[in-house]
Amino acid sequence: MTKAKNIAIYGKGGIGKSTTTSNISAALADSGLKVIQIGCDPKSDSTNNLRGGKSIPTVLDAIRSGKKIEIADIVYEGFGGVLCIEAGGPEPGVGCAGRGIIAAIELLRQKKVFEQYDPDVVLYDVLGDVVCGGFSVPIREGVAEQVYTVTSADFMAVYAANNLFKGIKKYANSGGALFSGIIANSVALPIQREIIDDFASQTGTTIAEYVPRSVTIIRSELRGQTAVEYDPDSEQAEVYRRLAKAIVTNEKKYVPAPLEAENLKTWAESWSDRLLEKKDDESSVRTPETASPAT
Amino acid sequence: MGSTETESGSEDFSEGRAIEAPRFSCALGGALGTALGIYGTVPILHSGAGCGIGQLFGQLYAGGQNAGGPQGGTSTPCSSLVEHHVVFGGEEKLKDLIKASVELMEGDLFTVITGCVPSLIGDDVSAVVRPFKEEHDIVHVKTSGFTGNSYEGYELFFEAIINDLLKPAEKIQQKTVNIFGIVPYQHVFWKGDAKVIKDLLARIGIKAQVFLTEFDGIAQLKNIPAAEYNIVLSTWNGHRVVELLKEKFGTPYLSFPSVPIGPKKTGEFLRTVAKTFNISDDIVEPLIEEEERRVYRFIEYGGDAHMLVRPHPFFAVVADSGTAIGITRFLVNELGYLPDVVQISDEPPEEVRGEITRHLTQGLETPVKPDVIFETDSHLIRQNLKNRPFLFLYASSLEAPTALEEFGACPVTVSFPTMNRLILNRTYAGFDGGLTLFEETVSTFVGPL
Repeated sequence: MTKAKNIAIYGKGGIGKSTTTSNISAALADSGLKVIQIGCDPKSDSTNNLRGGKSIPTVLDAIRSGKKIEIADIVYEGFGGVLCIEAGGPEPGVGCAGRGIIAAIELLRQKKVFEQYDPDVVLYDVLGDVVCGGFSVPIREGVAEQVYTVTSADFMAVYAANNLFKGIKKYANSGGALFSGIIANSVALPIQREIIDDFASQTGTTIAEYVPRSVTIIRSELRGQTAVEYDPDSEQAEVYRRLAKAIVTNEKKYVPAPLEAENLKTWAESWSDRLLEKKDDESSVRTPETASPAT
Repeated sequence: MGSTETESGSEDFSEGRAIEAPRFSCALGGALGTALGIYGTVPILHSGAGCGIGQLFGQLYAGGQNAGGPQGGTSTPCSSLVEHHVVFGGEEKLKDLIKASVELMEGDLFTVITGCVPSLIGDDVSAVVRPFKEEHDIVHVKTSGFTGNSYEGYELFFEAIINDLLKPAEKIQQKTVNIFGIVPYQHVFWKGDAKVIKDLLARIGIKAQVFLTEFDGIAQLKNIPAAEYNIVLSTWNGHRVVELLKEKFGTPYLSFPSVPIGPKKTGEFLRTVAKTFNISDDIVEPLIEEEERRVYRFIEYGGDAHMLVRPHPFFAVVADSGTAIGITRFLVNELGYLPDVVQISDEPPEEVRGEITRHLTQGLETPVKPDVIFETDSHLIRQNLKNRPFLFLYASSLEAPTALEEFGACPVTVSFPTMNRLILNRTYAGFDGGLTLFEETVSTFVGPL
C-alpha cells in the first residue's frame, strides 16, 4: 500500500468548498488517480455532484441504524471512480455534530477503509467554521497532512479562514496538519482578488488558485455534475484541473500566522473604507448623468 | 501566637493546576446525595453510567461508608449515555427512562439530575420532563456535573424544588421552620445532625422540617413555603436556598455558622431561636440547665484520662467550614484544648472566608488563636500540617492512616472523605454530641489494655 496524500479542504458553509473539492476529485480521477472524498459536514451533500446530484447514505446513518456495518454501506462510487463517503450528522438542533465527525472518522479507520481501497489521494471536505473540537479532527495528528481553505473575498469567509489558521497553529506543534494554500473562490472583480491577496500576505499564506465565478458551475450543478464532467473542455474545468495538479504535486506546508481579533477587525475596516470610497467614486461619476434631465 | 488567614497554593487557578484528592465530588454528586437523603425521592440520572457508580464510591462510600439504599447505587435509574447519544442526542432515551422509572420505581418525587454530556450536547431536558409533570411530581436539577462541586449540587437541588414544585402556602404555620445547610454525605454526620436539630427544636415547641432521613420528607418539601422561618446552619451552604425562599415566599431566615456542638453552642442556638419565636424563658432555661448539668457531669467521667494524660493539647482540624467551626469552638471553649491550625477544605466563596475566619479566631476562651488556611489540595494540606505541635488531628480518612507517623498526632475522622468508619446516627450536634466528640478523642490514646 502506497502512502496516500491526505488533504483537508476547509471553508465556511456555502462558500463553494464542496463544489471545489468535487471538481478537484473529478479532475484527479480523470488523470488516473484513485481518490476518496469524505464529506465532513452534517449537511452531507459534499459528494452529490459526483453522483448525479443524488445524496448517499452517511456513516452516521449506518451507525444510527445499529446494524453491523459493511464497507459497502458507507462507500459509494462516483464519477471517474471517485469513492464517496459522507460522515453525516445528527438532526439539526440535536446531539453533537462535532462528535459525529469524530465517530465517523474513527469508524472508517476501524473498518480499514483506507487499507482496502489503497487510494492515491484522500480529500476531506470540512465545514470550515471550526466551531468545536470535532471539526478540527481532520487537522489533528494522523488524519490530513495538508490543509487548504476555500474563501471568497466576503469578510465572514475570511474570518472563518482566519479561525482555521488558529486551529492549524494550535495543533502544528503536536504533529497536526500544516497549511498549503488559499483557494480564492468566486473571484469576479479585481478588488476581490486584492482583498484575498492582502489577507494572504497579512497571514503569511499563499494562494493556490484563483477560481473565477462561472456560469459553467451553475449549469453543471443543476445537472448534479462537476464542471470537469459536464463540460471538460470549458475554461472552468481547466482551472480545476490546474488546481488539482497543483494540489497533488504541492509539498509545501507551513504554519500560518492568523490575525488576532483586534487586528482582523482593523484589517477588515480598512478594506470596508476602501470599498466605500470606491462606491462613492462610482456614484459621483453617475450623479451628473442622472441629475442632468432635471436641469 | 497570632492567627493568620492564608490560602496555600490556591492562587494558581491556571488550567494546568492539578489538585490532589479534592474533598468533594461534582454538582451531580451533591444533587444525587441530597435526593437520596430525602426519602421518597427517586433520582433519575441523565448521564453516563459511570456518573452514578462514581458517586456511589466517591460520594456515598466516602461519606461514612454508606450504601445507596433502594434508590441509590446500582438501583438508580440512569440513561447510561454512550457515543450514540452524544452524536444523535439523548432526549429520546431520557423520555423512555422517565416513563419506565415512574412505573417501576417507588417514590413520591422524581428528580432528573443531569450530568456533563447532555449539557454539552444541548439536550432539552426540561422539555422532556415537562409532559410528565401532569401526572407526577418531577423536577429537573440542572447540575451539568461540571457546574460546580457537591456543595453547588445541594443548592441546585433545592433551587429546582423551589422553582419547579413549590407554590405559595395558603397559610403560614406558626412555629414551623425549615432546616438548611446540612449537606448529605459532605457533612458526614448529616443523618444524626438532622435528627438532633429536629429533636432539640421540638423540645421548645418548634416543628422543624429537616427533610433528611424523614419518611415524610416529600410532604415536608412541599410544605417549605408554609414555614414561619428558615434556619440555615452554615456560613454558606443553603444560603442561596434561604435567599430564594425569602424572595419567592417572603420567609425570613436565621443563620448559624454551624450545627451547634456541645452545651454552650447548643444553649446559644436554642436561646436565639426561642427569642425569635417569643418562646418563654420558662421553657428554654430549665431545659438548658438540665442538659448542661447532665452533660458536664458526664464529662467528669472522662476527666482523669483527659487531664492526667493529655491536658490542654494542641489540635489541628481539616474539615468543611461548618464542621471545623463547630469542633474548634467546642474543643477550645468546653475542653480547654489549644487550636494550632484549621484548614478549611470545602472551598467556600471568597466573600464568606472572612466570616469563617472570625468564627474560628474570635470569642475563644484562650489566648491561642489558630492559623486558618483555605485549602482543598490534599498534598498541600499535608504540607501545612508538618512541623506543628498538635497532638490531635480532626480530619478526613485521607490523613488518618499516617497521622501518628507523619505528624505525631492521634487522628479522629470527622470530615469528607470518611472511608475509615461507618457513620449511621453518629453526630457531634447538640448537648450529647459534645460528649461523643470527647469520647472519640480520648479513645484515641487510652488503653490498649
